Amino acid sequence: MELSEFVLKGLQYLADPAHFSCSAFSALAEASFRSLVHSGSAHAVLDGVDMQRMDQALVKHCHAAIATCILECVKQNADRATISTCLEDLKFDSERIDVFYSLYKQNKSDLENVLSSIGRCPPHITDASWRLEYQIKNSHLHKVSQPSYLITLNLENGGTRAAEDLNFSCTLEQLQDLLGKMKDAAKSLEKATHL
Amino acid sequence: MLLVLSEEHKEHLAFLPEVDSAVVGEFGRIAVEFIRKGSNPKTYEGAARKLNVAVETVQHGVEGLMYLLAESSKLMISEVDFQDSVLVLGFSEELNKVLLQLYLDNRKEIRLILSELAPSLPHYHNLEWRLDVQLASRALRQQIKPMVSFQLQLDSNGTRSYHTLQTDPATLLHLIQELEQALAEVKTNHCRRILRNIK
Repeated sequence: MELSEFVLKGLQYLADPAHFSCSAFSALAEASFRSLVHSGSAHAVLDGVDMQRMDQALVKHCHAAIATCILECVKQNADRATISTCLEDLKFDSERIDVFYSLYKQNKSDLENVLSSIGRCPPHITDASWRLEYQIKNSHLHKVSQPSYLITLNLENGGTRAAEDLNFSCTLEQLQDLLGKMKDAAKSLEKATHL
Repeated sequence: MLLVLSEEHKEHLAFLPEVDSAVVGEFGRIAVEFIRKGSNPKTYEGAARKLNVAVETVQHGVEGLMYLLAESSKLMISEVDFQDSVLVLGFSEELNKVLLQLYLDNRKEIRLILSELAPSLPHYHNLEWRLDVQLASRALRQQIKPMVSFQLQLDSNGTRSYHTLQTDPATLLHLIQELEQALAEVKTNHCRRILRNIK
């Protein structure tokens, strides 16, 4: 696991009992995990953590360092051995390593969800609405007498960008064609999961 | 319902009884071709020279026929109504028959062409799908995330647009359920009654 100089320095401070007592370390670690899992929340990260008496710049450095370390571990799907080795090299004692690892295990799947939602992808369909109408006549043609469907696909673009919609019309046969193809996709999906 | 022809229109069509029925047939064919593909002024010149009449007369005759056919097809008037409408022009029995046959033969195609003029939304054309599994991204390694990618082809006023979309398996099943409900709606009693009675 490769970490930058800045991150390594921050972690070294966290390992040092002269700067952070074990309880201070636990509090900061917990706050960091929480801030990453609830990354959209409006709360300031270190609210409620009693670090008023410490150098604020140092606290900020260490928080950034541990957050980066956490994300690297989740990104690489690090196991206990890797984490232990990495932290031992930075002179963490076994108590702090245990604290870190148990928090890591607890929050790992939530953090994986957060990370997997980052990234570019084509517009994502979230829902579909439909409307059935019967066309009687229009300005160019009388006695049309045709049923037709108006389909709206609700799309989402990477979560943060605005959701757009795709509207199109189709006849009965075309809707059957569309549905048939979607069912083919679903069937092959089912087959793939049974392999 | 009878077709009401304006005086100007009747004047234009007055040219037709002066030529023999083979020529009328030819004019009919040209009129339908022009409805299909747009008019070509050179054809008028060629015909005018052969028949020894003014180009304008030929043009009015063909355009009159085009309008007659287009209006009749638009309103979908019955055989009887068409014959009665044409009676007003005072043509011979044979000419009336030729016109009626021209109308009946080309009605469906003309209606198809007219339907393309009507306002419409992008129209479904085709759907291609693909099954993917996302294994890793810059933010997270070692993933297994199944995805279904679609390419939806829509036609809009003659231009085709391609939309690349994606969805996950759960949403795909939900979409299928929703669209099945949509299809089932057409077979309900309510819809059947309306489709049957409004013609």
